[in-house]
Amino acid sequence: MSYIVGVPLLSLLAILQSVLMGYFQLLDGRADLVLVAVIAWSLTRRSEQAMVWAVIGGFALDLLSGLPFGMNALILLIVTFLVSFLEGRFWEAHFLMPLGVMLVASLTYHILSTFAVMILVQDVSFAYVFRRIILPSTFLNVLIALPASQLASALHYRLYPQEVEL
Amino acid sequence: MNRSNSRLLVAGTLALITIGIMFLSIGGYFTPVRDFLSRPINAVQAWIALRVSAIHDTLTAPRDVASLQAEVSRLQSEVARLEQEIIGLREQAAEAEILASLLNYARSQPESRSIAANVIGRDPSPFIRSIWIDRGSDSNLSQGMPVVTERGLVGRIAEVFPTASRVQLITDPEAAVNVTLQLARTDGVLVAEFNGELSVDLIDQNTEVTVGELVLTSGLGNNYPADIPVGQIINVRRRDYELFQQAGVQPSVDFDSLHIVLVITNFQPIPLELTAP
Repeated sequence: MSYIVGVPLLSLLAILQSVLMGYFQLLDGRADLVLVAVIAWSLTRRSEQAMVWAVIGGFALDLLSGLPFGMNALILLIVTFLVSFLEGRFWEAHFLMPLGVMLVASLTYHILSTFAVMILVQDVSFAYVFRRIILPSTFLNVLIALPASQLASALHYRLYPQEVEL
Repeated sequence: MNRSNSRLLVAGTLALITIGIMFLSIGGYFTPVRDFLSRPINAVQAWIALRVSAIHDTLTAPRDVASLQAEVSRLQSEVARLEQEIIGLREQAAEAEILASLLNYARSQPESRSIAANVIGRDPSPFIRSIWIDRGSDSNLSQGMPVVTERGLVGRIAEVFPTASRVQLITDPEAAVNVTLQLARTDGVLVAEFNGELSVDLIDQNTEVTVGELVLTSGLGNNYPADIPVGQIINVRRRDYELFQQAGVQPSVDFDSLHIVLVITNFQPIPLELTAP
């Protein structure tokens, strides 16, 4: 069921990331809507579905990007897989947890992307990229992490309503 | 099977599928599927881009001066056209001087045929400086076609899909443009830094480069037509111990506010395979 919602939603978010995020740049960084959506879904204890979302969203981004096709999908999958290990930890219920997870996920995503670009596309200065892209993008991602996780919880509640025993 | 193993199995399977598709794509076998998937994505992208652009214009422009804005934009395009004409005339005069001394100034230059396209998006990755336009192979566009505005060179088409194309900007570090300096009459290569700053490299040490002079495409290498304005020299870096001097360039095109571009369709670049040694 979540895939029926996920495919169009992630495609739309990838398009919005391409069309809209250029207007909301901080230095050279932009919010990564697909990453935020995938991580938010992962936090609803659906990490296996989130991994599929990561691949779908990654391919949607790859369709709109000049980077090698599949690169975004693979990096998003790795990040979601790593985030899935946080599932079930004692501090999971803390309301600020999405911020911490998004911080780690965003940094991991951008650092992996930078290394992939350095290996496959062009040599870039890591210090410059860290200052101009990774930190601003991570800041923007953390900024929208809480509303995104609330939206993901609401969607999760609608798709998988809890059964109540009478 | 416990939760951890099942998670590992899902991740492994997805990674294998993704890597497989990556290799298929590198081999070019995935192109038909990409074309098929790109069509609806680009259609929605164009639809959204049009509305976002309209909303952005509405929000950023004062409403009570709408007519003035139209007049200003008409005058701006007129100024840009005249600037272009002046640049063209200056270049023609400089060329004519050289050619006259060789008693051979007859040179024919075919008029460029072009097609207008709307900018519908930018590369979602901050590492790639490229834009998406709403014309593709359905409009007979092909890879390598130069893209310009009335102010100068924007880039060239890097990828073509049925209804959209990706244009590699000249500010992309992977792009290199053969250029000529209008007054110094010397050639160089325009390269971009990762932060989008442009500079002309490989300028002969003995050449006197003047701040403010125009940089035009040279046409060497047949990647771009000759005499398209690229920008102006803003500083010169000459060191005695280096073989060449470099010059910083202020691009004539504002890459942050591109809305409509022109694709030159009657220019046939040399395919990269033929230029390889």
